[in-house]
Amino acid sequence: MRIEDVVCSFCGCLCDDLVVEVEGTRVINVENGCTLANEKFMGDHRLEAPIRRSGGKWEKVSYEEAIAETAGILLDADRPLLYGWSGTYGEAQTIGVHLAEVLGAVIDNTSTVCHGPSIMAIQEVGHPGCTLGQVKNRADVVVYWGANPVDAHPRHMSRYTTYCDGFFVKNAFRERKVVVVDVRETESSQVADEFVKVNPGGDYAVLSALRAIVRGKRDIIPPDVEGVSREQLFRVADMCIAAKFGAFFFGVGLTMAPGKNKNIRNAIELTEELNRHTKFTISPMRGHWNVYGSNEVFTWITGYPFAVDFARGIAFYNPGETTSVDILRRGECDACLVVASDPGAHFPRACAEHLARIPTVQIDPHVNVTTHLSRIQIPVAVAGIDAEGTAYRMDGVPIRTRKLFQGRYPDDLEVLEKIYAIVKEAKG
Amino acid sequence: MRVILKTKPRAKPRIPIEAEEIIPQNFLRKNDIKIFEGNKERSLDDLFFVTREGPAVSPDQVEVILTGDTGVIKRVGEYMNAGRIIIEGDIGMHCGNFMSAGEILIRGNADAWLGREMRGGRISCEGNAGHYCAAGYRGEKRGMRGGTVEVKGNAGDFCAEYLSGGEVIVHGNCGDMPGVEMRGGTLVIGGDCLRPCGNMTGGTCMVFGQARQFLPTFRRNGSQEAEYAGKRYRMNVFRGDVANRGKGTLMVRG
Repeated sequence: MRIEDVVCSFCGCLCDDLVVEVEGTRVINVENGCTLANEKFMGDHRLEAPIRRSGGKWEKVSYEEAIAETAGILLDADRPLLYGWSGTYGEAQTIGVHLAEVLGAVIDNTSTVCHGPSIMAIQEVGHPGCTLGQVKNRADVVVYWGANPVDAHPRHMSRYTTYCDGFFVKNAFRERKVVVVDVRETESSQVADEFVKVNPGGDYAVLSALRAIVRGKRDIIPPDVEGVSREQLFRVADMCIAAKFGAFFFGVGLTMAPGKNKNIRNAIELTEELNRHTKFTISPMRGHWNVYGSNEVFTWITGYPFAVDFARGIAFYNPGETTSVDILRRGECDACLVVASDPGAHFPRACAEHLARIPTVQIDPHVNVTTHLSRIQIPVAVAGIDAEGTAYRMDGVPIRTRKLFQGRYPDDLEVLEKIYAIVKEAKG
Repeated sequence: MRVILKTKPRAKPRIPIEAEEIIPQNFLRKNDIKIFEGNKERSLDDLFFVTREGPAVSPDQVEVILTGDTGVIKRVGEYMNAGRIIIEGDIGMHCGNFMSAGEILIRGNADAWLGREMRGGRISCEGNAGHYCAAGYRGEKRGMRGGTVEVKGNAGDFCAEYLSGGEVIVHGNCGDMPGVEMRGGTLVIGGDCLRPCGNMTGGTCMVFGQARQFLPTFRRNGSQEAEYAGKRYRMNVFRGDVANRGKGTLMVRG
């Protein structure tokens, strides 16, 4: 069966023009997808049934047994942590937040290790953003800062910027200027009109210098700012000021560099400064598929986008205190439910060690690093392949994903609703 | 009145305790002080051996002493407006949040957000302070607004972020970005620091050690003498941050 206009479920681009061929319960071909999409759709390494660690070995258990034991672990905990959520869809995330509230748990999503600092900066100074459609049709200057879209978001340039003609940009490749700012040369920097190489950790100073230049304080800029020459800074600032419509895109190279949210705040304030001269916008390059959706869902329900602590019965938010990396590093939590992510692969070693010490349950279709730290794993359908639901693109546009075939796995929502029902009944 | 709170052994000692009700005035007026251990509400007696000595007729006459494993106790002294708290060891996050009067003495180290958005009173920390010492809450436009925070040791990153009033004195080193977004008040750093006062719009910061990775957006504005620890030093004076309005003063030892 050939299915058109399929939404990709890998990165934050949510490309919605894939053509997928399905045979039975397998995807056998993907057209228009990047390498990452092809692997995601055609990968075939799913866990067959729920597993539980028993005496140093894994044993298969029924879904009912795994769900009941998971609910019991969470109910026994004094400080449970519910982490992940970015690889699943909004409806399942909603149940996750309700579960956290009933349990008095901390719920956090993968923003904690990617664009959490971006959100914190936006909370400080706002977000002069726009949709990717605006960038595609209007932007004549595009700046990628601390991002490498060729590798991480392979179709970003071809769908929205460098290689994509727009309504007001008829010949994008020639008319759009692309600037890449990074600490090293990348595949993306090779297609840039201007590559700005910054010393590691020097982004904040370079952004401050650009702000000063745009404010007309050129005389104060020293000959070299964190490895960038004054002449190049002037050139980039002039290019931005001369743009009809400019767009900054920034990645974890900026959010996770020293200064974190202050780097993003500085970039946003540079964008605001440029808007005194022309039209400029700024957007994060969200990586983990529906991570933007998890921020949306958390915010609708709790008022906060990530790292929400319900221990006191009300929502409290304080990144650095209620973020999962910090909670795990300090050894605070005494149980953890991981949904649709792989903290074992991405968190610091001390956090992974704590996950292995406490009862950790993972709800995920695949065996991954976190499996080896877990006590129970419950396999589920893959969102966007054999489960449908709503996801958010990196620019905040909600897109409905489709179920391509009826598989044999329950989806995240079904499993979480059963856990929630047990917990709700126990709590009364 | 002297109240001595000694921690009891716990089955899960790493689970944080939230104890904003541990403030002097509550020991005068309140019999049922509640605290949280993780997601469970506890009474004071569940987690502490409590000893009360002597009378008091006003909160000013109440002294609370915390001893034992106090490093994971958060929010001690939150909204405190009178009296004295002495912590014999380390203390957890948010000690002295929003306090408006009184005194907190910490003989060990303090975790992050010491004196967050403090309005008045005095906090003395004889050890080190964590990140966001005397800073603001997430998204808040003003941090500490009054009073004094003195740290004998080092402070972590983002010390005195959004400082709007009062005085912060760190005798040791500060981490990255002390005084970032500063708009008033005085920050004194006895040791070294990284990237001080980014985006500052007001106030005065004095660095008596080395200011590393100095931001390029501060304009030299002569020199002047300043006194620290009984000695006078010649300081280079900068105005900035000119990436913003540039009305703050940053002084670095020459």
